[in-house]
Amino acid sequence: MLAENEVRSRMQKLVAEILEIDVSHIHAESRLREDLGMDSLGSLELLSSISEELGIHLDIDDAMGIVTFHDACVFVERSMKGGEAASGARA
Amino acid sequence: MRALVLGASGFIGLRVVDELLACHVHVRVTRRKSTPTILFGPRPLDVVWASLEDRASLETAMQGCDVAVMAAGYYPRYSTDLGTSLELATRGIRNVCDAAIETRTRLVYTSSVAALGPKHADSFADEDDVTPPDPAEGVYPTVKKAMELEVDRARGRGLDAVSLLVGGCIGPRDYRLGTNGLLAALMRGLLPFRIDGWINVLSVDDVAVAHVAAITSKSPRYCIAGHNVRFDALLEQVAARYGVPFDVPKVGLDEARARADAAEKEAEGKRDRVPFPRELVDLVAMGKPVSSSLAERELALRWTDLDEAIDAARRWMMRLGVTKASGTQEERREHAR
Repeated sequence: MLAENEVRSRMQKLVAEILEIDVSHIHAESRLREDLGMDSLGSLELLSSISEELGIHLDIDDAMGIVTFHDACVFVERSMKGGEAASGARA
Repeated sequence: MRALVLGASGFIGLRVVDELLACHVHVRVTRRKSTPTILFGPRPLDVVWASLEDRASLETAMQGCDVAVMAAGYYPRYSTDLGTSLELATRGIRNVCDAAIETRTRLVYTSSVAALGPKHADSFADEDDVTPPDPAEGVYPTVKKAMELEVDRARGRGLDAVSLLVGGCIGPRDYRLGTNGLLAALMRGLLPFRIDGWINVLSVDDVAVAHVAAITSKSPRYCIAGHNVRFDALLEQVAARYGVPFDVPKVGLDEARARADAAEKEAEGKRDRVPFPRELVDLVAMGKPVSSSLAERELALRWTDLDEAIDAARRWMMRLGVTKASGTQEERREHAR
């Protein structure tokens, strides 16, 4: 499983790519919409990309409460742990 | 049967996918780099890369399919640039039509009631009332009419196609908040103004059923308009049903257009949606009662009750935190006991 800082680094790169901004503009408390200008489609694109890149399933309806970049990272990390727990339970 | 769905991550497209899967159809969907594939979830789909801008990729995607559903019709977010909107929309639909002709694939095209012509004085509009594009009617109706015209031209080149002229769709999972956005704005007290006119609204579930039925339909075009209602009355009914204040100022069409244009200009830089976009103002302005009797007869369609459709949309919007309405009258009575 990826380390927390590695997930954040990948997320940062993806946000920068989608919004065409420099990664230095993205901080933990940056609000995706208000501070970074990411609309709802951009958020869906971000979660789709991270889901594909990390090979994890993300439940989109659970993701709608995400406000900041930190929230998005926590959501992905929690989903990764949930997936791991589920595979462990199956094994 | 194998079906290709273009625009499968959209509000209508995804619901069509589910209806096809429920009918045991093998479903292939297209994606681009920016497609929010997260919306596909765990559905058993064959996902292929294709773009409306790339006819060869469309031909490859259609290979081996009996039917292609075109639910990716260009949907301008803002009504600010007619030229670019028209160019993108017509080029995309032309590529889809040409690919369908080349691969001999039947096309089910998701069109709009906006393609229907001016108001009738005393009768319902129907499938015979599609008129040529008229820029005076606004960007959205002009684009939809131009796309319908492209499909008609392609029929002349041998395309086997059916167009579904769909009304405003209501229901869950409208992540882009189209018609549902108006309801959300009303429920949140954010609707900036209201206007009156005829609109045609229906459950997205009915639209999905229509698409599947149209795969084997006889006629080349069907109006899937659903319920014909006065817009003002609908807003009042929704406000009363969910106990939200209905103190939205009523304005004339010219003022509504001006306010929607100004809001879109301001929102464009931030890529925001506006609560009452120009596209919806234009739809109400040119709205008219539309007869869906051909679809009712030939596609065996029945319309979901409008309150039921709005309840479903609201439940989804509340779950996502899009709106925080206080409940239907029944729910409030139940709560008071």
